[in-house]
Amino acid sequence: MDSGDLLLESRKQRVEIMDIDILTNFFFMAVIAATPLLFGTLGEILTQKSGSINLGVEGMMFMGASIGLSASYFYEFYAGDGTIGYVALGLAVIFGFLAGALGGFIYSVLTVTFRANQNVTGLALTIFGIGVGNLVGDLLSTHAQGFTSSTEATRRVVANVGIPILRDIPILGRMLFSYNIMVYFVIVVAILLMWFFNKTRVGLNLRAVGENPATADAVGINVTRYKYIAASIGGGICGLGGMVISMVDNSGTWVFNCVAGRGWIAVALVIFAAWKPSRAIFGAVLFGGLSVLRLYFPIEGVPAQVYDIVPYAATILALVLTSIRRSKENAQPKACGTNYFREER
Amino acid sequence: MKKILAIVMVALLMLAMIAACNGDDNGNGGNGGNGNGGNGGDTPSGGVAKDDIKIGVVHIGPLADQGYTFNHDLGARTMISNLGLRENQYIPKFDVGVDPANVTAAINELVQEGCHIIFATSFSHGFQMIEVAREQPDIVFAHATGDLAHSGDAPPNLHNYFAKIHQARYLAGIAAGLRTETNVLGYVAAHPFAEVISGFTAFYLGALSVNPDVTMEVIYINSWGDPPLEQQVATRLIELGADVIAQHSDSATPALAAQEHGAWHVGYNNDMREAAPDASMLSPRIDWSIYMTFAVKSVIDGTKIPPDWGEGLSSGAAFITGLNDAIVAPGTDAAIEAARNDIINNNMMIFKGHLKDKDGNNAKITDFDGNVIFEFTDDNSFFAESSTKSAPSFNAIIAGINIIS
Repeated sequence: MDSGDLLLESRKQRVEIMDIDILTNFFFMAVIAATPLLFGTLGEILTQKSGSINLGVEGMMFMGASIGLSASYFYEFYAGDGTIGYVALGLAVIFGFLAGALGGFIYSVLTVTFRANQNVTGLALTIFGIGVGNLVGDLLSTHAQGFTSSTEATRRVVANVGIPILRDIPILGRMLFSYNIMVYFVIVVAILLMWFFNKTRVGLNLRAVGENPATADAVGINVTRYKYIAASIGGGICGLGGMVISMVDNSGTWVFNCVAGRGWIAVALVIFAAWKPSRAIFGAVLFGGLSVLRLYFPIEGVPAQVYDIVPYAATILALVLTSIRRSKENAQPKACGTNYFREER
Repeated sequence: MKKILAIVMVALLMLAMIAACNGDDNGNGGNGGNGNGGNGGDTPSGGVAKDDIKIGVVHIGPLADQGYTFNHDLGARTMISNLGLRENQYIPKFDVGVDPANVTAAINELVQEGCHIIFATSFSHGFQMIEVAREQPDIVFAHATGDLAHSGDAPPNLHNYFAKIHQARYLAGIAAGLRTETNVLGYVAAHPFAEVISGFTAFYLGALSVNPDVTMEVIYINSWGDPPLEQQVATRLIELGADVIAQHSDSATPALAAQEHGAWHVGYNNDMREAAPDASMLSPRIDWSIYMTFAVKSVIDGTKIPPDWGEGLSSGAAFITGLNDAIVAPGTDAAIEAARNDIINNNMMIFKGHLKDKDGNNAKITDFDGNVIFEFTDDNSFFAESSTKSAPSFNAIIAGINIIS
C-alpha cells in the first residue's frame, strides 16, 4: 500500500479548492450534500409508486448507515493490510442495501399482510431504525475502543477522485466530474428508475398497483408481491443513502446520530419532486444547496434559522403549486396511504 | 386474527426499539433493587455514609456520542473509582436533552431514587435545576457550565462548576499557530455565547503568541452538535483558506473533513487521532472527575462546597490530550510546555494586553444585558477569566477573528 500518497493528493486538492470560485465550490458541496438525500428520495418514490407511504426513511437510512459500515468494518478488521477498497465498499453497499430492505420488508409485513396503518408503521419504523442504527454503531465504536475508521485503501475508493481526464476540464470538470463513486451510482439508480417506471411492463404494472390496486388485481397483477418487492427494494435504496453518510461522508467513522434528520428531508423531496426520479435529482441538489447556503452566502442580520426554514418552505410551496395545477401526472399515486383489501372490492 | 397479529408485530417492533434505545442504559436498570439509603435524615451538613451515598447525573446526550457526554460520564466513573464507591451508586440519566419537561422529570427521578448529590451537565439544565433545588434543600445540586448559583436569589444548595478550558485551548492554539502554512485558522463554533467565544479567542491568542500573521475564520452551527453541518462548515472553512480546523462542537466530523482535505485539526472532548490520524494534532479536554470527586467527597464528609468552582491546567481539570508527534510542527511540544509553565507557575493571563475589535476600538466584555463589565484599555489590561464565576465571561470579538456566519 502506498500510504501517504492519498494525503499528499488531498493536500494538493486543498490548495486547489482555495482558488476555485465560490459558485463552483457551492455547487460541489450541494451535490455532496444531495447524494444521501437523493438515495432516500428515490427509495421512497419507488415505495410510494406501489401505493405505500413509508415514513420510515430516516430509520432505514440509520440501519443502512450502521449495518453497511459494520460489513466494511469487519471485513477490514479481518483482512488487515490485505484490504481491497472496492471489496470493503462493495460489502457496505450490499449490507447497507439489505439493512434498508429489511426495514422495508418489516414495513410490508405490517402494512400489506397485516394491514396496519401506514403512517403509524412508518413512524414506528423510524424510531426502531434510529435505535438499531445507533445501537449497532455504538457496538462498533465499543469494538474499536473509540472511533471506527476506514483503512487507507477504502478511503481512496470513496474519495472525491472523479473521472480521469474529464475532471481536468476547467470549471465543468470540478462541477461534474470530480465526485466520489457513489454520486455517479445514485445518478445511475435515478436513470434506471426513470426507465423502469416509464418504459417497462413491470413498471407500468407497479404504477397500476399504486394508482388502483383493485383494477390491477382484476387484470391479474399480484398486488401483494408488487407491494412487498417495491417497499423492500425502496427501503434498500434508502439504506444506501445512510451507507453513503457513514462510509463516504464520514470515511468509515461511526458518528452518533449521523443521519440527523436527512431521511425526513428525503420524504419532503418526494413531494417536491412530484414522484419523478428526474426531478428528484434536481430537487436533491437544490435542497443540498439550500442546506449549505448560509455558509456561502451569509447575509448580515439574517439569522441561521431563516436559512434552515427555506427547504421546508420550498416544499410547502411546491405542494401548493402542484395542488393548484391539479396535474394528474404530478400527483401522488392514488392508493397511497390506504391498504388494499381484496375482500372489500 | 390478522389484527391481533398486527398488534403483536407492532408491539414487538416497539419492544425492540426500546431495547435498542436502552442499550447504554443498563447500569441504570440494575439500580432498582437498592434500598433507599436514608435520604431525608442525612443532610449534607451532617455527611453521608460512603456506602449509602447515591450520585445522580443528568446527561444532555447519549453515552455513545464519543464526545461531551462520553467525557462527562468518564469523569463520573473516575470519581467512583477515586472514592472507592460501587458502580451502582452512580445513577446516570442519559440523553435527557434540553427540553424543560424532560430535564425536570429526570432531576425529579434522581430525587426519588434518593440521590444525595445531583449533577446536571448542560447549561440549559440550569433553570429546571434551580427550581428543584429550592424544593429539595437537603440535596446538593451541581450544575456544569451554568452561572445561576452566582445570582443573588440562588438557593445555597445549588452550585456551579466548570473548568478553565480556555487555558487548554490557548495551548492548542500554539500547536495551530506553529503548524499553519496559510496563516488562516478555521473554527467550527457551537453558539455565539461567551462559553464558545471565550474558547475560540483563547485558541486564537495561543496561535497569535507564536505566529503574529495568523487570522481566524469562524462559522457558528447554532447547536452543540450537528454532524453533517459540522462537516460542511469545516469544509467551507478549508475552502476559505484555513488549513487548521478547530472545533467547539460535539462530533468528530470536523476532524474527518480536515483529514479528507489534508488539513490539520484540533479536537474537543476526545482524542480524535483514530478517526483522523493524519489531521488530528491534539484536543483540549476537560477532566470532570476532579470536581466530581471533590464535590462527592464533600457531601460524604459533610463539608461545604463553594457556589462556584473552576480550575484549569494546574489541577488538571483542563488539559490537552493526544498530541500527535508525527504531524505537529517541530518545537510544538516545547512551546506548549513553556506556555503551560507560564500559566501554572507565573499566573499568566490568557486575555491580556490592549485587545481591540476589528474597528480598532477597545475590546469590551459585556454581560447578558449588554452592560460593559470589562474594557481592555491599555497594554497592562488583563481579564481573569473564570475566576469570579466558573462560567466563562469573555465575549468580545477581537481583531483578527472574522465571524462569517
